[in-house]
Amino acid sequence: MSVYDKYETVIGLEVHVQLSSLTKAFCADRTTFGAPPNSQTSVISLAHPGTLPRLNKKQVAHAVRLGLALGSEINPKSYFDRKNYFYADLPKGYQITQDNLPICVGGVLPFSVGERAVNIRIHHIHMEEDAGKSIHDLSDHATMIDLNRAGVPLLEVVTEPDFRSPEEVDIFMNTMRQLVRYLEISDGNMEQGSMRCDCNVSVRLKGETTYGERCEIKNMNSMRYARRAIAYESKRQIDLLEAGHSITQQTLNFDPQTGITTPLRNKENAHDYRYFPDPDLAPVVIDKASIDHLRQTLAVLPWEVTTRLRDEFKLPAKDANLLAEEKEIALYFIDLATLANDPKACANLIINKVRPYLQQEKISIEKFPLSQKQLVAFIKLIQTGKLSSSIAYQRIFPALIESPEQTPLAVAERLNLIQSDDEDFLTKIVDEVLAQHPKEVAAYQKGKKNLIGFFMGEVMKKSRGKAAPKTCNALLRKKLA
Amino acid sequence: MPKYSNLQVIQSALKAGSTSCEKLVDYYLARIEKQQALNIYIETFAEEARTRARALDQKYREAPSSVGPLFGMVVSIKDVLCYKDHKLSAASKMLHNFTASFSATAIERILAADAIIIGRTNCDEFAMGSANESSYYGPTRNAIDPTRVPGGSSGGSAVSVQADTCLAALGSDTGGSVRQPASFCGLVGMKPSYGRISRYGLLAYASSFDQIGIIANSVADTAILLEIMAGADEFDSTVSAEAVPAYSQHLSFPGKAKIAYFGEAMQHEGLDPEIKKQSFDFIEALRGAGHQVAAVDFEYLAYLVPSYYVLTMAEASSNLSRYDGVRYGHRTATATSLEEHYRKSRTEGFGEKVKRRIMLGTFVLSVGYYDAYFKKAQKARRLIQDRILQVLADYDFIIMPVTPSVAWKIGEKQGNPVEIYLSDIYTVLANLTGLPAIAFPLGKNKNGMPFGIQLMSAKFTEKNLLSFANTITQNLR
Repeated sequence: MSVYDKYETVIGLEVHVQLSSLTKAFCADRTTFGAPPNSQTSVISLAHPGTLPRLNKKQVAHAVRLGLALGSEINPKSYFDRKNYFYADLPKGYQITQDNLPICVGGVLPFSVGERAVNIRIHHIHMEEDAGKSIHDLSDHATMIDLNRAGVPLLEVVTEPDFRSPEEVDIFMNTMRQLVRYLEISDGNMEQGSMRCDCNVSVRLKGETTYGERCEIKNMNSMRYARRAIAYESKRQIDLLEAGHSITQQTLNFDPQTGITTPLRNKENAHDYRYFPDPDLAPVVIDKASIDHLRQTLAVLPWEVTTRLRDEFKLPAKDANLLAEEKEIALYFIDLATLANDPKACANLIINKVRPYLQQEKISIEKFPLSQKQLVAFIKLIQTGKLSSSIAYQRIFPALIESPEQTPLAVAERLNLIQSDDEDFLTKIVDEVLAQHPKEVAAYQKGKKNLIGFFMGEVMKKSRGKAAPKTCNALLRKKLA
Repeated sequence: MPKYSNLQVIQSALKAGSTSCEKLVDYYLARIEKQQALNIYIETFAEEARTRARALDQKYREAPSSVGPLFGMVVSIKDVLCYKDHKLSAASKMLHNFTASFSATAIERILAADAIIIGRTNCDEFAMGSANESSYYGPTRNAIDPTRVPGGSSGGSAVSVQADTCLAALGSDTGGSVRQPASFCGLVGMKPSYGRISRYGLLAYASSFDQIGIIANSVADTAILLEIMAGADEFDSTVSAEAVPAYSQHLSFPGKAKIAYFGEAMQHEGLDPEIKKQSFDFIEALRGAGHQVAAVDFEYLAYLVPSYYVLTMAEASSNLSRYDGVRYGHRTATATSLEEHYRKSRTEGFGEKVKRRIMLGTFVLSVGYYDAYFKKAQKARRLIQDRILQVLADYDFIIMPVTPSVAWKIGEKQGNPVEIYLSDIYTVLANLTGLPAIAFPLGKNKNGMPFGIQLMSAKFTEKNLLSFANTITQNLR
């Protein structure tokens, strides 16, 4: 047993979710990703003298939606505070956030790691605004500032220290991404910075009940890096403890190039943010009726969908998880499976043909050229034995997408791919095959019965896939007997 | 004596054709020229005002009924109000070359009502001060005695009206900055209820205290300006949606009022005996006119100034963080790191008084001091508010002196900030509680220096406050 096995890693997350909103948290500036630097900056974003924030109501509704989805308690009255610090990309010299009384408190995010169910408790969710961007590598002698992102609405989800492995963090973040997309409150895109997290990492001996001193790794916007950073940090802390040192509370930066964490600041020179209630903003008051309305109109939740796919449609966990990844696909599946009355066939079709097509074409399911009616007909052709599934997938599906105005049957007929159980036609092919392979026929008749597969294959080849397998099989056995 | 004492006189003259907006502007510009030594304006908008005056005259000639309610009103604006495409300095080196890119809601509204803005007036740097001595552009002088201060922070605003360089002035009042200079200069000064006028475009000193205020020769002019500027504004979430009555149409107070005064305040050891005597005489006169005036206990007098300063400095320390020289404003030439950039830009850009308040404000919000100062001051503010609400449940108005003394000599109190802070004792109550307050002239001391008295009323009862002030100022003196 290695020394590392004596310890467990304890992780808590602060997840920042950038909300999909056309405008910023406290002014009407746009929030389009990738716009030219400083093109989405009004006097309010630039913190000109005399400007005041005004709350984007959409941000509040989104916060409540996320809170309801996670089972949080919604505070009927919450407040905005100012977090004061100087930085060149923070125009006001303070960030508007919620410190003392956030909008949502408590809650749980459920997911599973393999067969094991994990419930990560949520400490709270608060609303805040993003800072701008400092770009250090565009110029040798200057830091460039882009304030397009300054004031973009964020939700920060703070978890309890309930994680015990980087893997759990990874799955949590994926589930969170899935959730915010289901709720349509964020695109959850980590590469574009729509979702990022700070990881608080500590270690302790297994069985210990108090937490160790923690270090915070800032601004992880890739799960691959986050996993590496946590693993590195956990090992670093264990090594320190094993060498007889103690851990000092620090804020860390993770460098993906070197794979190590380095201190940004330690406890002694930690910022004193001088939080106090923002006098420019009225308290956020949400009445019960609004909360009820948001609850009633809340989107279906990913874990509800996964359960339904498993229990009602009897899909294996793997298929259920795959289909539930995107809400639109999951709902599409449910509709299709209900129409076609063959969940397994529908799942296969969507997973193996529809989804890859959408990904390849970079389109959403609404833009998929075939109607559900066509897909049902397609599945029926396989079910009734008119098409072999391999022919259907490989030949008919692409052809159908090329001519979506035709029915699957018409396409199959046009390509002359309808399976035949016409005995005369099949007998002729079977006879030809048997005549061409006298050695195999002899071997079969001597007892090598598994050669039936070989004969089937030859018949299929000759019929170019059209031979109905059942009829063929019966014919072959009869002739060889 | 000013040539025109109020807007009604001017509008009658305009109607009669005996004057025009252009003549008015020329008159005021000549007055400004003559009063240069008082250092009232940081900048005058002479040509622009003339052009606008001519356009308004033309508009009137074409259709007399098409002009707005402020037709003929020439105003100055304190240099903390944003006026699009005009400089905005807050009397600070920090914003010496800054140009506003939008107009304050209040400015837009008076312009839409056909007022003419003649210039931006001097004030204490970032509106912090009670004497107008902390301006980067030098002190403004009191027109009655130029060796004395005009009060502050809206000192330039007050003198602009006092010296007859405009008809009325817009200032800002965070702890008395409109009422105190009005009192020092013998004028009417009003701070409306918190949330009555949008703060959008008013450079922030202490957000939960700041209100745009009005300085004028008369209550009537104050009323019409308030009527135009007040009311809901989507750009300020702290402004009230409460309906705005036509204040200017309700200037006569019906019946008799119940008025409270605080014995502790009137007996305060710092109160000048002459002001005290005339204030009591005034109370007697009110009684003589049939109003009920009673002394009421107010046990929090000693907490007003400390609570006010702790809270306003805390808010100011945060509000002034944006002046960092990164996007606009003074930027040091010699920094080699980000930290040095901040330190030098702010050290060079801000004056002494402003730096003192930023440092104190930062201190009271710091870990370990927050509870002892900021939180305690917030609690005190709540207690004071509750007590005042109780008083106003039984009385229509509270009457108090505006200042403990008359205007002091320029330089006399420099180096003694605490003494100056304490002189705010009577004015900060209205800001701590968000109540409307109006100061109007009461008398003069033996040296001829004026002083006023003020009335406060319940939130958003400006209609009563203005009508009562107007009625008693016309009938009692």
